[in-house]
Amino acid sequence: MDITFRIRRYNPEAGGKAKPYWQEFELKDVEPTNRVLEMLHRVKWEQDGTLSFRRSCSSGICGSDAMRINGRNMLACKVLVRDVVTGAKNTIQVEPILGLPVLKDLIVDMEPFFAHYREVMPYFINNDPVPANGRERLQSQEDRDIFDDTTNCILCAACTTSCPSFWANGKYVGPAAIVQAHRFIFDSRDQGWKDRLAVLSEPNGVWRCRTIYNCTPACPRHIEVTRAIGEVKLAIQRGKREGIIDPATIPSKFHG
Amino acid sequence: MLLELRKNSNFVCRKVVTVSSLVTTLTETLRYKGAIGQWSWVLHRITGLGVLFFFILHIIDTSWSVFYPELYEKAIAIYQTPLFTLGEFVLVACVVYHAFNGLRIGVLDYNPRWWRFQQRAAVWVLVATVVLLIPVFLLMLGHVIKYYGSNPTVLPLSEVLAEQLPFVIGIGAGIVAAFIFAVFAGLILGNKEKAVVGGISKGSKLERFWWSYMRMSGLLIIPLVFGHLAVMHVVQGVFDLTVAGTSIPGVTATVTQLGAGEYLGNAINDTGTAVEFVGERWNYLVLSVAIWRFYDFALLFLAGVHGFNGLRYVLTDYTAKSVLLRRTATYACIIGAVVVIGVGGAALAGTITNTSVKMAEKARIALVGEIQSHGGDEQEEATNESATEETSTESTDN
Repeated sequence: MDITFRIRRYNPEAGGKAKPYWQEFELKDVEPTNRVLEMLHRVKWEQDGTLSFRRSCSSGICGSDAMRINGRNMLACKVLVRDVVTGAKNTIQVEPILGLPVLKDLIVDMEPFFAHYREVMPYFINNDPVPANGRERLQSQEDRDIFDDTTNCILCAACTTSCPSFWANGKYVGPAAIVQAHRFIFDSRDQGWKDRLAVLSEPNGVWRCRTIYNCTPACPRHIEVTRAIGEVKLAIQRGKREGIIDPATIPSKFHG
Repeated sequence: MLLELRKNSNFVCRKVVTVSSLVTTLTETLRYKGAIGQWSWVLHRITGLGVLFFFILHIIDTSWSVFYPELYEKAIAIYQTPLFTLGEFVLVACVVYHAFNGLRIGVLDYNPRWWRFQQRAAVWVLVATVVLLIPVFLLMLGHVIKYYGSNPTVLPLSEVLAEQLPFVIGIGAGIVAAFIFAVFAGLILGNKEKAVVGGISKGSKLERFWWSYMRMSGLLIIPLVFGHLAVMHVVQGVFDLTVAGTSIPGVTATVTQLGAGEYLGNAINDTGTAVEFVGERWNYLVLSVAIWRFYDFALLFLAGVHGFNGLRYVLTDYTAKSVLLRRTATYACIIGAVVVIGVGGAALAGTITNTSVKMAEKARIALVGEIQSHGGDEQEEATNESATEETSTESTDN
């Protein structure tokens, strides 16, 4: 099949009044099972070498190539042409994710995103001495399951940049940072959860979430993002982390 | 090396105007292909703002029934014009959608694990809104047809709009005052933003409270506002307020025989004035408790705080960049809530006497005459004018 690629371009070096613009590329002999990322490669390699975008692993693990494809945030390497081309018009529209400064073409400055990530202290905090046998801190399978879903985050920013609250207010900590906080808050071995809840109960923390649910379908890892945010809100409301997540309702997609 | 790159990229990104401008946020909300949840959110905001806007007008107007009975008659005459008739339908639709969607958000917020049902729930909210609105609109339409079919005397649109000018000025003054407060706050507290989120923080107990308040108050407001709308807009419409001899819903007679020049206490709108309608309701005692005053105050307070805090949510979402503007937005909401709840509360604590009703009656007669001399309508016979002094004969039937 033939595909028309409509790409949002921006070249900061194009002189004083550089403006973003749309550019179209025609691609022939596209297989419906080709990935969108491969098609971007073809544009770059066959037609316009100046097209700029990020990608590293090309397999949905590194989280480099989140972009807005046909109006929705996705990973270009995880989405097939047939998933986004619908109807008679074989057009794929690609633009950078929204809410972060565009550096060039599809590349955005991820620094504000990572700044929010760092705010929630996304690392394990436990000041107890290590176990006497020198081995790992043990945890029951149930306790591990509670935060299993949010361990899958790859920090691609697809969720955060799908959020209208984040578009309006870049100071909002955003879904991804809350997901990362959730991963530690609900880890029974972690002792920093109260500090994280305090950080997230700031005016620009979880309360900017309006339960719009754009983030959940945007996640290429199928994390239940809005649910995680909701659980953090409840943990703040109740001042405790026990009893908020019912182990029986945990998604079982990665184990059985 | 990395630091150099960082600096350079910051330099570049400052020149790009694609992030977080108000226009981008609004247009991209329309362009992003979010699922139904995104549109529910857009509708929730629009309907909320619509209801709040009417709420402000309505509370101030209604307070006149106590403070300026003559003005209240004019306000009701304005409510009986086509512009407000249309607005009433929009209002009812806004309230119903906002209520149902708010319920959906609240239920899902307290049960995050049910997120899978949110899309279906959003569709059901729309369905339920339409299903409820069909009979409600039919009933309201009945009032509208009956009223406009009788060739009523209607205030001209130009006058209706001119009468809204004080509200525009008042809202403008509130915003200016908020801006001045924000400037002073800037001088005292500085316009520097605290760390974005984080650092060593205790968190905001206030925002935590507001999050719960919005959900809990919403739950309480729903039965109150549905009851209020049912009585005031559906069962008896605004057009019935000025029909003499109508019985007042939710009120039973406490007095069987009224003396000459007395109107209140028989559960009947003898004069066909809106002031008497309000007076009958507010003066109605059950076990020496003015139940409608308490009802109205509960609705006024809960909805007023809910509405202005919702407005603050909307405004501060879009003014994150400027501390000055964000403070202005917050102060404007506080001023609005204090003024509207204060004025409405003062009215609810006030008294409507036979004197007020008499003043209103005179004003009403003058108003009807004025509209007719304006040539507002060809129909010479005013439906209400005739029913002025024959009150004592009608007062006994119920």
